[in-house]
Amino acid sequence: MRSQLEAVLAEAEKVITGKREAIEKILTALLAEGHILLDDVPGVGKTTLAVALSRAVGLSFRRVQFTPDVLPSDLTGFSVPDKASGMFVYRPGALNGIHLLLGDEINRAASKTQSALLEAMEERQVTVDGNTYPLETPFCVIATENSVGTAGTQRLPYAQMDRFLVRLSLGYPDYEAQMAMLRDRQGVNPMDTVQCVLSREELIRMQREVRLVTAKDAVLDYITRLSMASREHGAVEVGISPRGALFIDRMAKARAYLEDRDYVTGRDVQAVFRDVCAHRVLLKDGVRETTVEEVLEELLKQVGNPDRGSVFPGMRK
Amino acid sequence: MRKRRIGYAVWLLLAAGLYFFENNTGTRIILLCSVLFPLLPVLREAFFRPDESGKAEAPETLTVKTFSRTEEEEPGDVRAYRPGDPVRRIHWKLSAKKDELLIREAAAVQETAREERREDVSGKGRKKDPRGRIAAGTAAGLAVCLALLLLIPEARLGAQSLCNRLFAASEAVNAYAYEYFPVPEEQGTALAAGLGAAALLAFAALVVLLRSRLLTLGAAAACTVFQVYFGLAFPAWVNIPLYALSALWMTRRPMSRKALTVCCAAVLLVSVLVAALLPGTDAATEAASEKVRDALSRAAAQITGTAPEEADGEAETRHVHTQSLETGNREARTEREYRLVTVEEEEISMPHWVNWLKMILLLLLSVAVVVLPFLPFLLLNARKKRALEARKAFASENVAEAVRAVFQQVIAWLEATGSGAGNRLYREWEDLLPDSLPEGYGARFARCAEDYEEAVYSDHAMPEEKRQDALRLLKETEEALWKNAGRRQRFRLKYWMCLCE
Repeated sequence: MRSQLEAVLAEAEKVITGKREAIEKILTALLAEGHILLDDVPGVGKTTLAVALSRAVGLSFRRVQFTPDVLPSDLTGFSVPDKASGMFVYRPGALNGIHLLLGDEINRAASKTQSALLEAMEERQVTVDGNTYPLETPFCVIATENSVGTAGTQRLPYAQMDRFLVRLSLGYPDYEAQMAMLRDRQGVNPMDTVQCVLSREELIRMQREVRLVTAKDAVLDYITRLSMASREHGAVEVGISPRGALFIDRMAKARAYLEDRDYVTGRDVQAVFRDVCAHRVLLKDGVRETTVEEVLEELLKQVGNPDRGSVFPGMRK
Repeated sequence: MRKRRIGYAVWLLLAAGLYFFENNTGTRIILLCSVLFPLLPVLREAFFRPDESGKAEAPETLTVKTFSRTEEEEPGDVRAYRPGDPVRRIHWKLSAKKDELLIREAAAVQETAREERREDVSGKGRKKDPRGRIAAGTAAGLAVCLALLLLIPEARLGAQSLCNRLFAASEAVNAYAYEYFPVPEEQGTALAAGLGAAALLAFAALVVLLRSRLLTLGAAAACTVFQVYFGLAFPAWVNIPLYALSALWMTRRPMSRKALTVCCAAVLLVSVLVAALLPGTDAATEAASEKVRDALSRAAAQITGTAPEEADGEAETRHVHTQSLETGNREARTEREYRLVTVEEEEISMPHWVNWLKMILLLLLSVAVVVLPFLPFLLLNARKKRALEARKAFASENVAEAVRAVFQQVIAWLEATGSGAGNRLYREWEDLLPDSLPEGYGARFARCAEDYEEAVYSDHAMPEEKRQDALRLLKETEEALWKNAGRRQRFRLKYWMCLCE
């Protein structure tokens, strides 16, 4: 792994112990210029992690707690008339001027607020009163959804889920991790010890390099076959969209980059497949006997992997 | 049900038509099978769904009523409901009482139903059903007729004389010889004929009255056996309605399983035996169908305009050829007609293109016969060539290509000996490799798999050592797997998979 990224991980691990895999995934998504949906119970350290990451990478950070009365203009900003000049003056919203936005409980926001956020995520700019304001680069949204206490919430529509690169969950720490965490917090807050080990410019350079990672036709073919197989699966109503396939490719590239390779392998695709696709696949109504995760596992098992490529001459290369 | 009946009638007509046009043993058997055809679902029910057999037995409300009476006396004939039991057999009253679903036992139903049936058929006064009584009367009449036929000497002689006539008729058209009954020439047959006709009529009435499939089937089968045995076909216009009607009559209701099985097997056996031992053609039907066929082909020729000159003297060109046939026992001479067919007739029944088809088939066959012995060798050779081609890549200038080829060879070895891990990435095979491989093999395999990934997924130029690494792994794999392989597997590896040098 690249030493700088290793350092970022180490800094983040100061505050969240025993969650290396999840942090790696978030870092990967950050490298792939994607947005992250965290599906988790409260109190497992989502905010802490986001703050730590932003500090370690030297990104500005803001947190928005979504409630039903958060309005789109709170995010995108709005224009107010200025008495002195007699003109409308733009007041930036929560999205402007920051790199990392933690949107807590996004499913509690009104649907118009959700859609405003998601548009900003997709286009990386906000438009208010006909004026377009670009957002900072890099811009990354980490949105969280609570899986408990869904009363009074608006579930994210499928089309908007599709815009998140990955859906992850941190989960509870195990015994050792939790003990370590409790011990760490006895003295100083470990958050204060997190140092900036990677500059914003370097992150942008890395993101550019990620885009240049080689993905040969064998890999692209594998991604295509996986997504097509997901659409033809008997229990699946909506399979992996073309955007989903694109995201698999991007995430796989970032993972290859994280492992200090400049080429994508079949293993990268398999490693990111579940996280990228779990929220993109909808099962048919009334399918009880299987879950999305099982369907994805099945696809990985059934679709011939690209390593095999030329062992079976009949398979397309 | 109605559709099925119509479909069956059409099928039967077809079979009968076939019989009419190609009057030989084969078509007779087809016709017989067609008659037996409606029994197939019943047979299936009898043999493959024993649980349902009771249903076929007790469709009448009467039997059900009787049944429930016995049920109340003996509640022991019920068992717990199992998935798949027919809903009709659920004992609702008892189920409600016991608060669980109970099923009436099949045996009880069958028993009652059979009793019911027996009483119904014999009609011993207790039943008020007039049809049963009439049927009983008819059956008695039939018995009386048969008894009279056997007991009165004159009638018996008459019957024998009738039989002799039958034999003569059969001999006239077939190459058969019969042992005649010793009956005086001038024996009167009026009485016997009358009694026989009465018996036949009574039997027919019985068939109609009893609505028994068994009887109908028996009658149809007897008809067939009669025709097949004596080689005396009824005219088609009698046969077709006869069989169609009897078949339709039979589809009305299922019958008891055991009786059905027995009579089916018997009829089938007898007819096959008769067909196999006493084949024969029937001249009358043959001639009739010949005429129809000629007319048809003439019409076809006229439509297409290919054969305008119809020889008027064609009838004269048919020769009547008489052939004598020696039979073993006595010096009986039977005659049989043969026709010499003209060239035109021959062409009608077998057009020229049939000959071409035959020739093409023959040509194909001969080519196949010539090529076939060499086919395995050709196949093996091609495989070997391909294998050598793959090996050539081992020494390729491009190291990445060589690594790819060598590693794929390793995979081929592992898969050929059943040690592969299927559709998994090769990096994950390490833990799934068999224990028989040498110590530390897994780690070396994993390293090479990594090189392989680089070779496959990147455009890097690779150092020469990687090739050597891969070749070393291949050698190790070959040695280990060859050592473990049995004789058959070695043979396969060497000659079929062509994995060895």
